[in-house]
Amino acid sequence: MNQSQTAKSMTHGEAGLAVFFAASAFLCLFAAGKALDTAFAFHASLACAASLWAVFAIVNRYYDRPATLPPREINGRPNYNIGPVKFSAVMAMFWGIAGFAVGLLIASQLAWPALNFDLPWTSFGRLRPLHTSAVIFAFGGNVLIATSFYVVQKTCRTRLAGDLAPWFVVIGYNFFILIAGTGYLLGVTQSKEYAEPEWYADLWLTIVWVTYLLVFLMTIIKRKEPHIFVANWFYLAFIVTIAVLHLGNNPALPVSVWGSKSYIAWGGVQDAMFQWWYGHNAVGFFLTAGFLAIMYYFIPKRAERPVYSYRLSIIHFWAIIFLYIWAGPHHLHYTALPDWAQTLGMTFSIMLWMPSWGGMINGLMTLSGAWDKLRTDPVLRMLVVSVAFYGMATFEGPLMSIKVVNSLSHYTDWTIGHVHSGALGWVGFVSFGALYCLIPWLWDRKGLYSLKLVNWHFWIATIGIVLYISSMWVSGILQGLMWRAYTSLGFLEYSFIESVEAMHPFYAIRAAGGALFLIGALIMAYNLWMTVRVGEAEAQSPVALQPAE
Amino acid sequence: MKAILTVQNITSDFVTSFWTPLFVAIFVAIVTYALWPRNKAAFDEAARMPLREE
Repeated sequence: MNQSQTAKSMTHGEAGLAVFFAASAFLCLFAAGKALDTAFAFHASLACAASLWAVFAIVNRYYDRPATLPPREINGRPNYNIGPVKFSAVMAMFWGIAGFAVGLLIASQLAWPALNFDLPWTSFGRLRPLHTSAVIFAFGGNVLIATSFYVVQKTCRTRLAGDLAPWFVVIGYNFFILIAGTGYLLGVTQSKEYAEPEWYADLWLTIVWVTYLLVFLMTIIKRKEPHIFVANWFYLAFIVTIAVLHLGNNPALPVSVWGSKSYIAWGGVQDAMFQWWYGHNAVGFFLTAGFLAIMYYFIPKRAERPVYSYRLSIIHFWAIIFLYIWAGPHHLHYTALPDWAQTLGMTFSIMLWMPSWGGMINGLMTLSGAWDKLRTDPVLRMLVVSVAFYGMATFEGPLMSIKVVNSLSHYTDWTIGHVHSGALGWVGFVSFGALYCLIPWLWDRKGLYSLKLVNWHFWIATIGIVLYISSMWVSGILQGLMWRAYTSLGFLEYSFIESVEAMHPFYAIRAAGGALFLIGALIMAYNLWMTVRVGEAEAQSPVALQPAE
Repeated sequence: MKAILTVQNITSDFVTSFWTPLFVAIFVAIVTYALWPRNKAAFDEAARMPLREE
């Protein structure tokens, strides 16, 4: 390669982004001065500080880097960009522990309400979205960004597109999390479940997400492999659909551009339908498609077996794409939503059982010829159990979407139990398995610090999940039955508070399950930390995977 | 004006009443492509992609 010394100059991206952030710093400072409420002033100040830091970081990076940008290939082999992957992997672990801890706190608040501390910032209503966003978007989102940036490079055999763009995505996304999370604590919310962040956070996320889409697409376009591996199809479906859902559910008009409060464009039942079109497809494309992509790469890799049926992967991918988008109305059974729309949602939810189980079968059967590895490799066991939980949750979901079942289960803890069998069992375990694979690869380690600790993590977390979901099943069905019980004279048999009182033992068991899950994650964090700190280095290959910077 | 509305109505009618067979046709085409015997070798190769990269 001709390494003639060229005069060093800023790329258009560096200069443009530095100017953008300088302008943003000025605008945010102005907004902080004009702010109508303290939360908005706080967020504007935060964004101003972050913009100044970004300008400094971009200029600093420019002075530190060599005149030429890192090559896309070294000696004919791809020069992978793993800096942003490392960043999101670390953030995933951090947010995971934070999110599980807040979950444990609010589970305990339900059992022992004194833990609300009688403060607005620590009340259940504010901490609950903090928990859901921290685990879904902060933990899950960082796992998805980290693995997608890794998998797309590896399976396309090319370097991640863009120079600053991947860093903009990973840091920008985590800044969105910071704004959203601190907003909840300060009482800033647009009161849409899983879409609580207010208009300015939504706008920022849109910019970050479109950049994410462009980086991912450009990497695929520059691929050296003719075929686009199925995991990339799932990642792409996840990124595109989340963009569409985010835009559809969040068109809001701020009361003032200097304040945090806004009103959503949709009204009444249309708003409810938009919300659950968004909400259920966030489950379908964030928590399912994205994590199925992880399954399709990490399980074959770890089991050292090819994907069981590539044909099945194509068929169930497209079946999910065609069916999932219609399932949302099952969240609105027996509401003002027209009956036909409810029935439509129910029907599509039941049909979804097939593509879901197609994915489960494909994941599990990839182990054919390698089942013995489950005995010796707790990481693979974690990945496989996650797929089993995926199968269970996607069996239970269609069942609960049936209107008569829903009349018993809706608004009860059964829903919470169902969500957590998917969230803890499927999303949690597949993410843990992927991180256990990814961290040694990223830091060039031979293996994990301790497989024994992975085993402890696996069993402690599994017992935690079992406690969680079984207590919520019992509690949910009990609630449902108490609410519909009539006396012989036609009066309701129980007052609402009696059903609340009956929940107490189950809430205590659920909190214990959550505590076990958190302990497992702490063991994991220690194990990964030690892997990076003291793990044995992998023998250096002729072309080392070198980080971009 | 009336003509434009009619065209719009025809388009909208077409879209609302024909998306079901259209999507079904697209899906059938995808399934056919996935199951077509001649594609098997390429798919078996693709199934090994995570294993052969470096």
